[in-house]
Amino acid sequence: MVFPGSPPVIALQDISLTIRDKEFLAIVGPSGCGKSTLLRLVAGLLQPTEGEIVVHSKHPSQAQRDVEFGFVFQDAVLFPWLTALQNVILPVEILGKRSPLPVQEVEGVARQLLADVRLHGFEAHYPEQLSGGMRQRVSLARALVYQPSTLLMDEPFGALDEITRDSLNLLLLEVWEKNRATVIFVTHSISEALFLADRVVVLSPRPGRITTIVDVPLSRPRTFDMRFLPEFTFLAAELRKLLQLPAEVYES
Amino acid sequence: MVRKNARQAASPLTEWLPALILFLSTLILWEGLVRGLDVPRYILPSPSEIGAVITQRWQDLVRQVAWTMLEAIGGFLLGSILAFLSASLFVHARLIERSMYPWAIVLQTVPIVAIAPLLTIWLGFGTAPKVVIAAIVCFFPVLVNTTRGLRLVSAQALELMQILSASRWQLYIRLRVPSAMPFLFTSLKVAASLSVIGAIVGEFTGADRGIGYVVVSAAYRLDTPLLFAGIVFSSFAAVIFFLLISGIERILLFWPGARIED
Ligand SMILES: Nc1ncnc2c1ncn2[C@@H]1O[C@H](COP(=O)(O)OP(=O)(O)OP(=O)(O)O)[C@@H](O)[C@H]1O
Ligand SMILES: [Mg+2]
Repeated sequence: MVFPGSPPVIALQDISLTIRDKEFLAIVGPSGCGKSTLLRLVAGLLQPTEGEIVVHSKHPSQAQRDVEFGFVFQDAVLFPWLTALQNVILPVEILGKRSPLPVQEVEGVARQLLADVRLHGFEAHYPEQLSGGMRQRVSLARALVYQPSTLLMDEPFGALDEITRDSLNLLLLEVWEKNRATVIFVTHSISEALFLADRVVVLSPRPGRITTIVDVPLSRPRTFDMRFLPEFTFLAAELRKLLQLPAEVYES
Repeated sequence: MVRKNARQAASPLTEWLPALILFLSTLILWEGLVRGLDVPRYILPSPSEIGAVITQRWQDLVRQVAWTMLEAIGGFLLGSILAFLSASLFVHARLIERSMYPWAIVLQTVPIVAIAPLLTIWLGFGTAPKVVIAAIVCFFPVLVNTTRGLRLVSAQALELMQILSASRWQLYIRLRVPSAMPFLFTSLKVAASLSVIGAIVGEFTGADRGIGYVVVSAAYRLDTPLLFAGIVFSSFAAVIFFLLISGIERILLFWPGARIED
């Protein structure tokens, strides 16, 4: 993927990756290596300069039209004039007939999703009245309401403190067990990636290439204690080394 | 936050009392100076003389100012609606914006008092030129602010709508218009005051009724107390119009954090 400009920016190069159905895939890499770009390519928000992306044997823009994607951004991107509940309902209203969920049922589903993300009682609150972590949970519920087959998450908890982030990680896994979708989760945090994912893709600094893909040997459901298991700490150290390795690359 | 709460907690009386005391003491000082220095009435009448004119002629003054407000509100509606439609057109067609926006800015710099006589020649001495002048002065602030507001949506919000394959109409009505509302109302409050000025300027250049006509003919006859009464009534009407728009804003911008502080 090359962005035009002077000089043009090569954001991603030689990326070849097959994502399994219903898997939880995490992508880690240094800042500016093209993680967000990769998600945008998959979602059909950007067209690759070279190569091809196939989503469920479809072109990304076709998959986008078939509303296969849910997207959770780093900022919650809630509409401030809508309550938490209305924000969650919004996608179904926009989709109208294209929504897999009938409009009459959406309110019940949205309320249930808000309860699942522990926001029962906050349905009528406006985004301004919610904390950052709460807004991000609303945004997760909004991405799930129309049951997309693929959930793309771009550093969704990156702006939150560690304690909130930990509890949201657990919550995300719990919600994911209920609404199984393929998840591509971008993060800066190695331990977050290992804790959540089935596989972790490590990208090199720009131009982003796949350095390695590791399978996470942890059983599900995941618990916090697993982070102290030897396999976890070993993998975390390995990945940290891989991400630090290209220090010379930055300098040159 | 704490300060804001403290301010809200204060009763309306303590909130307005300092302003009221200043107003009353200014009146008393004014009255005292005019009487003490024997200032001629046609230069500066005393507040009591102005008050006498108002009590004597208030029915006529209310009728005149109501007429002016009708022209102002008509122009306000016309100008604001046209501006909103133009801004909506601009965000959907870059080419139209690029060809028209610079001229809109240039036109804005033409002093309205210079156009007013021309409009009177074209449209006569009736209501029409006053409404048009009020509409012209309202048009620009609303156009500039609404265009900015309609554009100022985050890239991520646009991507969210694209993920949902929202139509252009859905994008406009569900995202752009609500995001533009705070900007729209900021400019509508400016336009409300401007529209009254516009209507009065229109009346200056030729009219047989309206508060602008009252002021001009009072000045012609050196009837300064009546002139002051006209000033009082037109300011009063402009303030009421402003408060009306603020009230509508309060209702329509219901969500927390919506209103741009002014
Ligand atoms: N629209 C664009 N136009 C031009 N260059 C872009 C554009 N979007 C991204 N880039 C460039 O592509 C590179 C990768 O950007 P990207 O946002 O994908 O990085 P990232 O890995 O998500 O970084 P971060 O972790 O900081 O979010 C960057 O160098 C950036 O400057
Ligand atoms: Mg990014």
